[in-house]
Amino acid sequence: MLPNRSRLSVLVFLLPPLLLYGVAVLFPILQSLFLSFFSWNGISDMEFVGFANYVHMLTGDGVFWRSFFNALGYLAICLVLQLGGALFVASLLTSLRRGRELVKTLYLLPAVISTVAIAFLFVRIYSIDPVGLLNQVLGWIGLGSLERPWLSDVNTVLAAVSAPEGWRFTGLYMLIIYAALLAVPQELEEAARLDGANRWQLFTKIRFPHIRPVWITTTIMATTYGLRGFDIPYLMTNGGPGQSSELLTTYMYKTAFTSTDFGYASTISVFIVIECLVAVGFILLMLKRKADA
Amino acid sequence: MKKLLRTAAVAAVAALSLAACGGGGAGSASNVNPTGDIKPRQISWLLSRPADGAVINIMKKVADEYAQTHPGFSLNLITTPDRPSYIQKYETLAAANKLPELFDTDATPFAQQLAKQGKMVDAEKLLKDLGVYDTYRTNALNYQRFDDGSLYMIPFQFELEYFWYNKALFQQAGVSVPKSLDDIPAMCTALRKAGITPLALDGQDQWPLERYVSYQPFRDAGPDFVQKLKKGDAKFSDATGQKTVNWISQLGTAGCFQDGFSSQGYSDAQNLFTSGKAAMYNIGTWELPSLATDKLNPAVRNDVDYFTLPATPSSATAANEYVATSGIGMAVNSKTFDPLVSDFLKFALAKYPSEYAATGALSPTTNVQTTIPANATPLYKKAIDQAKDLGSKLAMPWDTQLDPTTNSRLQQELVLLAQGNVKPAEFTSTMDSTIAQNAPKFFK
Repeated sequence: MLPNRSRLSVLVFLLPPLLLYGVAVLFPILQSLFLSFFSWNGISDMEFVGFANYVHMLTGDGVFWRSFFNALGYLAICLVLQLGGALFVASLLTSLRRGRELVKTLYLLPAVISTVAIAFLFVRIYSIDPVGLLNQVLGWIGLGSLERPWLSDVNTVLAAVSAPEGWRFTGLYMLIIYAALLAVPQELEEAARLDGANRWQLFTKIRFPHIRPVWITTTIMATTYGLRGFDIPYLMTNGGPGQSSELLTTYMYKTAFTSTDFGYASTISVFIVIECLVAVGFILLMLKRKADA
Repeated sequence: MKKLLRTAAVAAVAALSLAACGGGGAGSASNVNPTGDIKPRQISWLLSRPADGAVINIMKKVADEYAQTHPGFSLNLITTPDRPSYIQKYETLAAANKLPELFDTDATPFAQQLAKQGKMVDAEKLLKDLGVYDTYRTNALNYQRFDDGSLYMIPFQFELEYFWYNKALFQQAGVSVPKSLDDIPAMCTALRKAGITPLALDGQDQWPLERYVSYQPFRDAGPDFVQKLKKGDAKFSDATGQKTVNWISQLGTAGCFQDGFSSQGYSDAQNLFTSGKAAMYNIGTWELPSLATDKLNPAVRNDVDYFTLPATPSSATAANEYVATSGIGMAVNSKTFDPLVSDFLKFALAKYPSEYAATGALSPTTNVQTTIPANATPLYKKAIDQAKDLGSKLAMPWDTQLDPTTNSRLQQELVLLAQGNVKPAEFTSTMDSTIAQNAPKFFK
């Protein structure tokens, strides 16, 4: 138990950030929850509709489910590119003797380029008329049959909008994982090598278990960023063609600001909040299991 | 937990009361002659026009002139040229009841709700009161009207939309100007065979493709079709609806639009045409400076011509009736309408037309003559003179007619239909059910 004066000082220091958090985070969430029970376009009278928005969202809105599954696909592709790519590059980096700093800087560079620039850059890269970099390279290496308008093809567009987001942050996660890999004790690796462990065994038995805590932290970070993905898909395709690259976030935004259906958009945002809570809970559960194991 | 719930309830009630506060405060829409002294201050115009375009440049100049006799007056122009971003900004401000003195809007269902709530000044009465109503082109005013004929927006431009085409590429493929819309798919096939992209299309902005879906119904049933369709009184499954759905599908199958059109923007489409790669380009007279002056690529300059929306003798609308728009209109906020705003508008609307026509553009009024620029090709004058022979029925762009949710869905589904990703039957059922679901909210 803290003495009175110290309890007061704790309160004095904690209250402003808590208030700020309440106003900036909790209040909008509660307001969304409240609005989700109404039909309201911003200028009309608010009409209480009970759970009608939720029922429509879960049972009658095909675009919502399409966006949900797209968002999961987007998340999966981002995670594979960001975490898989980061781990791969970081591992290679440890075996580099020269030019590590240069490679690190080059990989980190996309993280500091503005989102809009990245989106425009990739629209050009994927273009077919005028022919963009990707199609040109495919032509050069004899894979001309794969040339296509990547952003207009409903089968490739989701991967095409996910890749820039993955590419962008690979360097950042690579840096974190690389730092963790450097901290793996050399003597352990040497001992394993003397015992005849090959590179793969060295990685799975020594290195990875050592970097696991860092790996989980980066997974949480990447998942959070992946779930809130919005800007690059919105700028590159605006969710199209059709709803092929529509994510829950872009759909919610359009419902609110294009369709001016603030009630229904709030319903979708409540779903996004729940989705994020479930994702965090899931990761925390994983953490706990690892800690118990 | 109980405490938390109670706090949540209080917050929610607070939110409701805040929202309720935002709803009130509208002035009188029909009082176009406010009494009192003119007290100069800064007034704002929230608009969606090019930052260095004629409208903004002229209005800046006119405002400076007005400020000379009214010290303390200034016109704050807040422009967001990107239309979707603008609409979001304007609708959010409308929801917060924070719209400035003047703001741009199309005659959309959302704007009509604002008008019904008395938040906009009756433009017909205002223009009559200012003594300029009769100078406006009937078509320019009609474009701004809501379905019930009421007028709440003032036009600042007048544009005609044509199919620009490259005569040399037509000749190369052995095709001629289409006599009816139904000829276009076959033309596309012939052009494709000759290695030419038939139509340059800005798919990214979505409205250019939406123009195409409006053409067949306009010729087949006249301008009423979309008025009925948007309320659910007509359907895509009707004969007229099916005609346009199948036509768009045929355009796609025939490869009319460039590959990957859905991710290509405004300048990509224009470059395709001006570089001589595409044979046709559907765009309005606002592009005359780049299509009919010496700025145009010399390699295609003498080959460019245009034709208007094809019509047949059996069409419901005449050949001289096609898409003619007066662009986004300017609405006057009734809440902030006072003697100053009224006096400034009187001053500005009297000066504007002659200044605007001098830039080589078509004025929304008939009391001035457009100045043909010195660097224009003969096509410039021909395109401008076309405005003299214009019928009375307008092909309204559907994006200003449909409710916003239906409009977004239509834009998305049209891309899929034109790309062959959905079949006409699937498109029809998706769109008819979308309209049935969303139209009642806007057109009760």
